[in-house]
Amino acid sequence: MNNPVIQRECFGILRTRKALAMLIVMSVAFSLIVLLRWPTDGRVDLSGMRSQQVFRVFAYTLLAGVLFVVPAFPAVSIIQEKNNGTLALLLNSPLTGATIFAGKLIASLLFALLLLLTSLPAAAACYAMGGIDLHSQLGLLYVVLLTCVVQYTTLALLVSTYVQSTDAAVRMTYAAVFAFGILGTGPYYLLQGQAGTLPLVAWWLQAASPLTIIMDLVGHGDVGSLALLTEDSTLAEYLLLSAVSSLAFIMLTVSRLNHRLFDRARSKGTITDDRQILARGFRRLFFLVDPQRRKSGIPFYANPVMVKEFRTRKFGRIHWLLRLVAGCAVLSLLLTLAATTGVVDWGVRTIGGFMVLLQIVLVVLITPSLAAGLISAERESGGWDLLRMTPMSPLRIVRGKLLSVVWTVGLILLATVPGYVVMIYIQPAMWLQVYRVMICLALAAVYTVCIAAAVGSLFQRTATATTTCYIALIVLFLGPLLIWMGRDAPFSHDTVEAALSINPTGAALSIIQAPGFEIYELAPGAWWVSGIISLVALAGLGCQVWRISRPV
Amino acid sequence: MATAPVVETKALTKRYGEFTALEALSISVDAGQILGFIGPNGAGKTTTIRILVGLLRPTEGSATIAGADCVRQARQIKRLVGYMPDIFGSYDNMRVTEYLDFFGAAYGMGRRQRVQRIAEVLETTGAAYMKDLFVESLSHGMKQRIGIARTLLHDPQVLILDEPANGLDPQARIDMRGLLLQLASMGKTLIVTSHILPELSRICDTVAIITHGKLRAFGTQAEIMRQITQRRTFEVQLVEREQLKSAQSLVAAALGSEADANISGSETEGLVRFDSNLSDRELAGILAGLLDKGVSVSQFREIPTDLEDAFLSVTSRDNDTSSNASPTEAGTASAQEPA
Repeated sequence: MNNPVIQRECFGILRTRKALAMLIVMSVAFSLIVLLRWPTDGRVDLSGMRSQQVFRVFAYTLLAGVLFVVPAFPAVSIIQEKNNGTLALLLNSPLTGATIFAGKLIASLLFALLLLLTSLPAAAACYAMGGIDLHSQLGLLYVVLLTCVVQYTTLALLVSTYVQSTDAAVRMTYAAVFAFGILGTGPYYLLQGQAGTLPLVAWWLQAASPLTIIMDLVGHGDVGSLALLTEDSTLAEYLLLSAVSSLAFIMLTVSRLNHRLFDRARSKGTITDDRQILARGFRRLFFLVDPQRRKSGIPFYANPVMVKEFRTRKFGRIHWLLRLVAGCAVLSLLLTLAATTGVVDWGVRTIGGFMVLLQIVLVVLITPSLAAGLISAERESGGWDLLRMTPMSPLRIVRGKLLSVVWTVGLILLATVPGYVVMIYIQPAMWLQVYRVMICLALAAVYTVCIAAAVGSLFQRTATATTTCYIALIVLFLGPLLIWMGRDAPFSHDTVEAALSINPTGAALSIIQAPGFEIYELAPGAWWVSGIISLVALAGLGCQVWRISRPV
Repeated sequence: MATAPVVETKALTKRYGEFTALEALSISVDAGQILGFIGPNGAGKTTTIRILVGLLRPTEGSATIAGADCVRQARQIKRLVGYMPDIFGSYDNMRVTEYLDFFGAAYGMGRRQRVQRIAEVLETTGAAYMKDLFVESLSHGMKQRIGIARTLLHDPQVLILDEPANGLDPQARIDMRGLLLQLASMGKTLIVTSHILPELSRICDTVAIITHGKLRAFGTQAEIMRQITQRRTFEVQLVEREQLKSAQSLVAAALGSEADANISGSETEGLVRFDSNLSDRELAGILAGLLDKGVSVSQFREIPTDLEDAFLSVTSRDNDTSSNASPTEAGTASAQEPA
């Protein structure tokens, strides 16, 4: 194989500290999982219960790794080359778009393979404990994960050809992976057992998610299913959908890897104020907050950095957020109404739990995109020195930046408020629960903002900052839920309770008494823990800002 | 009456561990002057500038701008100086007026004042037509203008511009030159770094040449030439080419004691060229001697040296010193050179 791109890409990936960190973290994580349940006495567990417990956590961790670590490199691969100008050089060489793509794909897959290899010792140990079938469980797990790796790598490369910056590439890729891998299973749980086109589409959507297969493999296939509803494995459908979608992503990416990628005119900067009245009226209606309107000056009472952040960010601009919040508000209202009027037999608790999760997912998905680049984007663009040259103090700069995120996240928090209001209206006795849940959600928002801003400030590149923030927050929010999934086996009640206390999600779910969380007493302990972690993160951010602001 | 310099550095030194980025730099710039700060890549220009604007702290020495210490009075410095780094520092989705409005607000200017000032600086920099364009969509030359407009917003006394002509097309370069002269005529003191020496030579009152963190030459262009090019180059244009040999020997005889006269002749051009450090009166004697011996001379002229020659002379001398001596020896040798 004579493709120079493969070698260059491989070296490029392996020489980064990010790759080394990923390999180390994955190896340590897998070793710990096995060590945790490795038999310490002389007796053999013939039932295989213990290894099943380990296998469960192992499989979910591996899936989380594949979903959120593997796409990090291919996501920025093409856009980084484009922005650095090296893609133009490659396209100007005798290499074809397909060759360039193949080089990037193979290099990314090799790294993903390396990541999967780090899990093999743990998998072997898991198998050695007994009770795990080599082919139908362990082998199948790796088949699914490899398919998943190919699918999400090709997806990430495709995203990389559409976006204009590396951090946008990371954001969009994670959003797409989340939508494909996790969110796709949502509609099916709502519509299962019903007939018609919509449930059928929902079934195919969940079949496209690796999560469904992994849940089947580890014996969690019935989680979220209605009673008496037994489904056959969707493995064949998953493999088919993965292959078809991967092929589609490959073809689309290759078709885009040519000179047209650079064929983009500079924006003329048309202003809505200069358009005709009809166009102005329509835009006002459509956008609510028109991004093309000529802005008035920054008012004296506003922090200029906050206003600048609102005006300059590409992701999370106010007109999009308003639409998102409106959509979520409608969804939460419908869910609450459906639950309380008996349209679905879920009960208010389940719906409440769902709303909490919806809210947390929104916060965790959106906040890193807003907060991770607060400092790193300035440092990357050279704007940090310009800000330092102004009479504004570092404290004022950071306050403005944090405020811009806090306002936005506050808006996102409002998304589910209508649902809770309806909930209290129908069941007034729930007001205290809802009140306490709202505290949890507000704390979760503060917690996420502080951690994302602190972690993001450590990096000079926005893409790295965004990726690391996502991984850190996913570990913090998903990790406790993974441990909760292994409640009582392999993890004890106390372990699960301690893990759930790391962030306020568990507390919110236990307050609303979502199924599986009723037995835990997490508030106000989790509030304190979250508050302390937030303060530590804020102090870390302060130290880092002080470090990069002072003349040395 | 002599006025106090607006920008002054005294033995300014910056070390990073073992590495010395800047060594005992002492310069001063008067009000309304343009200082051209010249040096190869990695010479220490940006380090000096970053110390002057308060972004770096010197290891030793001091720097003042309009009497304010760049370290202890950093807040005051921010109001006195307008700094344009070599990286533009643009923000996405921001129009030119919004961009300038943000920096105006960051400098604590009121809303009305900002509106007025933005119009003024856009007018001064010839960028008024760009006001509604997105900053990221501007060309390099347009961005440089907006960068200067940004530095002018708070009406600073001193403008420090890092490579303002870098990457500009010829017309934009001419425009930039005009703009810098206009700013100097407005009473601003400018410190400009550049690699494009012909550009600098046309606008600078004072020049500082820096290599390997050390100041090699400092003064007006004429003074620099005198410091750097102690030997001047002359050409004698003959009417009759046949007289070339005799003219060469006459010049050699007249220069006698000068070892590095580098006398050369071009038969096709009928030209004798030589280097000399003789005074103008002594040179007049050489010309008179040639005419007395019947050599027909149509022109006797000095080849002018420019900033580029001076710079090359300094850097080549510096390279020779660096290659022949250990770092410590080179430092000692260069410290003895006139500055």
